[in-house]
Amino acid sequence: MNILEFCHIEKVYGARENQVRALHDINLRIKEGEFAAIVGTSGSGKSTLLNLAGGLDTPTKGRILVKGREIGSLTRKELTIFRRRNIGFVFQNYSLMPVLNVYDNVALPVTFDRGRQVNHKYIEELLKELGIWEKRRKYPGELSGGQQQRVAIARALANRPAILLADEPTGNLDSATTIEVIGLLKASCRKYSQTILMVTHNEAIAQTCDRIIRIEDGQVLKRRTGNVRPESPAEEGGDRVC
Amino acid sequence: MLKLAFQYMRYYKSQTFAIFSSILLTAALMSGISSLMYSSQKNDVENSRAVYGDWHYCIVSEPETVTDLDTDAAEAKAAQEETGTGFRLEQCAKAQMVGELTEPYQIRFLHVDDAYREMLHREIIEGREPEAADEIAADNYTLVNLGFRGDVGDTLKLGKDSYTLTGIVKSKWTSGADEMEIFVGDGFSGAKNSGQKIYLKFNEDKKLYKQLEEFQKEYRIPGDAVEANEGLTMHLGGERPDSIYEIVKFALTDERGNLTYVILKLQSDYNLTFYGMIVLLWMFSMFVIYSVFSISVSKRKAEYAMLQTLGISEEAIGGTLVLELWLLFLAGYPLGCLLGNGLLKVGYQRLRGVFTHKVIGGGKTAVSITDRIAAQGSADWANVSKESPALDNAAQGSAASGIFASSGFSVAWGVIFAGFAALFLALAAAGFLTVRAMRKYTLRETMMGEVSFFRGRRRVYSRRGANLANVVVRKFMFLNKRRAIGILLSLSVGSCIFLCTTYLVENLKVHAEMSLKSDDGLGSEYRMFVKSDSLADTIPASAVEEMKKIPGLSQMYATKYTLGELTIGKEQLAWETYFDEVNKDSYFAGHYGGICVDKGDETFGIRYGVYGYDAGMLNELSDFLLEGEIQVKALEEGNKVIAVANMDGQGNYDFYGIHPGDMVTVRVPKKQNCPPEVLKFDSEASDYVEKELEVAAIVSRPLAREDNFLCINGWEGSNTQSIIMTHQQMEENFGITDYSIVNAAPVSGADKEEISRRLLLAVGDVPKAVFRDYAAAIEAQKNYLGQQQLFFTGIAAVLLVISMFHIMNSMNYSILARRREYGIIRAMGITDGGFYRMILWTGILYGILADVLISFTYHLALRSVMDYYMTHVVQFLHLTAGIPAGVFAMVMVMNVVIAAAAVMIPARKIAAGDIAVEIGG
Repeated sequence: MNILEFCHIEKVYGARENQVRALHDINLRIKEGEFAAIVGTSGSGKSTLLNLAGGLDTPTKGRILVKGREIGSLTRKELTIFRRRNIGFVFQNYSLMPVLNVYDNVALPVTFDRGRQVNHKYIEELLKELGIWEKRRKYPGELSGGQQQRVAIARALANRPAILLADEPTGNLDSATTIEVIGLLKASCRKYSQTILMVTHNEAIAQTCDRIIRIEDGQVLKRRTGNVRPESPAEEGGDRVC
Repeated sequence: MLKLAFQYMRYYKSQTFAIFSSILLTAALMSGISSLMYSSQKNDVENSRAVYGDWHYCIVSEPETVTDLDTDAAEAKAAQEETGTGFRLEQCAKAQMVGELTEPYQIRFLHVDDAYREMLHREIIEGREPEAADEIAADNYTLVNLGFRGDVGDTLKLGKDSYTLTGIVKSKWTSGADEMEIFVGDGFSGAKNSGQKIYLKFNEDKKLYKQLEEFQKEYRIPGDAVEANEGLTMHLGGERPDSIYEIVKFALTDERGNLTYVILKLQSDYNLTFYGMIVLLWMFSMFVIYSVFSISVSKRKAEYAMLQTLGISEEAIGGTLVLELWLLFLAGYPLGCLLGNGLLKVGYQRLRGVFTHKVIGGGKTAVSITDRIAAQGSADWANVSKESPALDNAAQGSAASGIFASSGFSVAWGVIFAGFAALFLALAAAGFLTVRAMRKYTLRETMMGEVSFFRGRRRVYSRRGANLANVVVRKFMFLNKRRAIGILLSLSVGSCIFLCTTYLVENLKVHAEMSLKSDDGLGSEYRMFVKSDSLADTIPASAVEEMKKIPGLSQMYATKYTLGELTIGKEQLAWETYFDEVNKDSYFAGHYGGICVDKGDETFGIRYGVYGYDAGMLNELSDFLLEGEIQVKALEEGNKVIAVANMDGQGNYDFYGIHPGDMVTVRVPKKQNCPPEVLKFDSEASDYVEKELEVAAIVSRPLAREDNFLCINGWEGSNTQSIIMTHQQMEENFGITDYSIVNAAPVSGADKEEISRRLLLAVGDVPKAVFRDYAAAIEAQKNYLGQQQLFFTGIAAVLLVISMFHIMNSMNYSILARRREYGIIRAMGITDGGFYRMILWTGILYGILADVLISFTYHLALRSVMDYYMTHVVQFLHLTAGIPAGVFAMVMVMNVVIAAAAVMIPARKIAAGDIAVEIGG
């Protein structure tokens, strides 16, 4: 079952002579539970695609369906609530609140839902799972990059979202920590039955994912049938038809 | 550097505009208020010149010396104008007393020169100068008193001789206008040796006291021969000021010295109010400009750090910042001065009375010559009105406006230039200090932008059910403590000033009302009293009864009066030095043997006015209560009295250490028509009635009072020494049945002219009775209060606008600086409503914190300072008024509203932005 669908998506920035076509006729389907990597060169449009998937940006043309709902038809408020409940974000620069300690950073998105109680048991479980329970009273500034990214992952998982969107989550990490973080993402994907769409530059990391989506000049490259590298478990390419 | 500064100014347009606006607004405020105060002070000088005469010093000299001095002085003037050193005499006048009359009034015959007429404003306004031996000129006041009903050219009999009136002299403004003068010509054959005076006017651009010293040295004139025109010279530095070191040393080393002494001394010698206000305004201006500038710089610190990595020195960056500030300052400051002065010049006509110290109702203004002598009967009064309209109209008109002469609006160039220089240098210091502050962080940290490393309490807020969004906002708010304090101060400053001015104005109203009550008696429009040096002259009870029948009067208070002596023990007299000075007064020495006389038996006898008030007046007197209780029944049953305390120069009250319940001994002449010697209180004991009376209450001021200790020629003092009892007690204790003072007020909308006429008729037959109309004075007082209220509210509003500008700028930056974090929060799923609530909470929190700060600052500090200022420095009578609860609540609510509005503007900007851009940015 497809949890995320991009249908004829176009995204244009600017106007007239300054116009930049970031995405062009993107058609893509992501299955539930899939761990997909989006790779491409700088400026190819991969972060734009991720932002559109998360409802952080709106497409110039086309439809995006998340869990079967077209997010473009939602009001601003509905979209916000939908995003809060269904989508988690992990950013390259962690994007933690510097004034909250680890525990509160993780609990923060849950508190946006009025009347919803923070499931402290779940947060504890998450923090333990990610190996940062002992650091729960620390502030982001007191943590290493890897630890901060774990906190960011925990925060993204706090609302048990169906989809996790990660934009270069290992971009600021060393190789050992990168492996740890990817392992954690994969583990959470399995454990919580989540779909992960991850933007990365790192080919090696991409190869560890279930699927690789390559974007160049705002377009998804065709599936390279018959040219799959035997050592890579990942399936490459995008869907042509929506 | 200049190019770089320009480029930054062009790129950061909104911040450049913010700095420019802060300079413009603060320059407008500082220069405008300085000019207003300066104009008012100049106005004061001009008023004083009109009231007290256009002369600085008077030399009482022997006749021969006068002639020499006059000539020499004129020569000296010419000489000094050339050299520019020593004294520069602008004008010199001579007056010679050539005769005197004591009956029916004290009248002096003067022979004066043209310069005298000009300097003392005694020009001939009708007719010509007297020349022949039997020719005279006089002012309307004197002529009215003498019962003259003729015209110029008619004959007037003075004593045994008859004179032809050749001219009408312009009347005096001063309280000394009670003095009656007749002007004679060269042919007058009086005693030319009886006393002469030389009036000197020096160049006011130089220090007057130094010129006087030089003048005295030049002509070997002893100090005791010099009298200063204090009414005028007090504004121009007529006395050598003590050095600040001496003032402070005295305050620290002498037991009489204290803070109040320092403040009052600095006020009198160094114009503390003016310069203090300028310093405060300057500090406020610097605070706002620096704060706005800091915010602007904090946005581009990373760029400066980058420039440093490229090899630009710290000094060059500092230079760029200073150049930027200076360029904006050079453009903003003159424009601000133009704006502030321009606006105030337009509104000056409405505000010019604000800093003018001539408050009508003080008993020392032109009002005193609006006296309408009723001694000659109503028919005469009618004549006076017709024959001398100029006198009455001028006095009334001036009294109504509260100003006698206007020097117009003057720009305080000195302050503007000094402010320019001080701000110019301070901005340079601010620029370099900002760069220096960047040293706290490494270039890498500065380039990264977020240099704060948060390490707060380890509390887990989500476990306590706290709203984490609010926690985030609150913590962001206080992450930069300096900025938070700056915003809170901005919010508080305007409000605190507004509250303080409201408190001041409210108490000023009370003070003005009480002053009027105590000065003219109950703030009544009409006052009838007896201008006589004899206690036997009174307003009969029958006349008072007649007055009570006049329709249209809302109140009528009659007062009984006699002169008494209060006996106190030597050890109780704390003011011996003061009384020693007053005892030297020739009037007191001559009439009463002094005001405070050593009786030789370890006691002092002090001259006191003894009054009998009616129940209504005693009720009004309660407003002035310092100690004890005022109850008519208790006063009469226990034969108790109310005493008026003495007030020292610092606003402290004391009644010789006597308190309610203590006994005082009062003596009054047994007969009201006693010989003058009896009033010295050293005649036979049988000439007096002596009473031992219990003090029931002590008050700060009397209401109706006999101002001059029966001195009909006017006395430069204020007689508040009073013992008060009821009418009945006055009769029972001293046998006094008639009245000396009657106050009356019309009902609203009554025909005041008709009431005046009827009152005059009622006292028309009473010898030496005088009718005084305070209607114009009361109107002027209201007008003056209105101006003050308008001004202070205006200033508070301007400060509020500047504060708001600063708040908006600070809040805007404070919130927009966190737009990435807010973007993340929005990405995590906070709705627009939730986001607005979260930001609004910041504003509300700022507002509430500012309210708390204001409340504490106002109640714990500012109010005490204001109370001190009002009690000891400006010496308000009673601080009974507080800030109305509604005004206080309005200020509190307004703070929250302003803060909330200030945060919502950037919040809307953020919410309208693209989340992806916010996060990416």
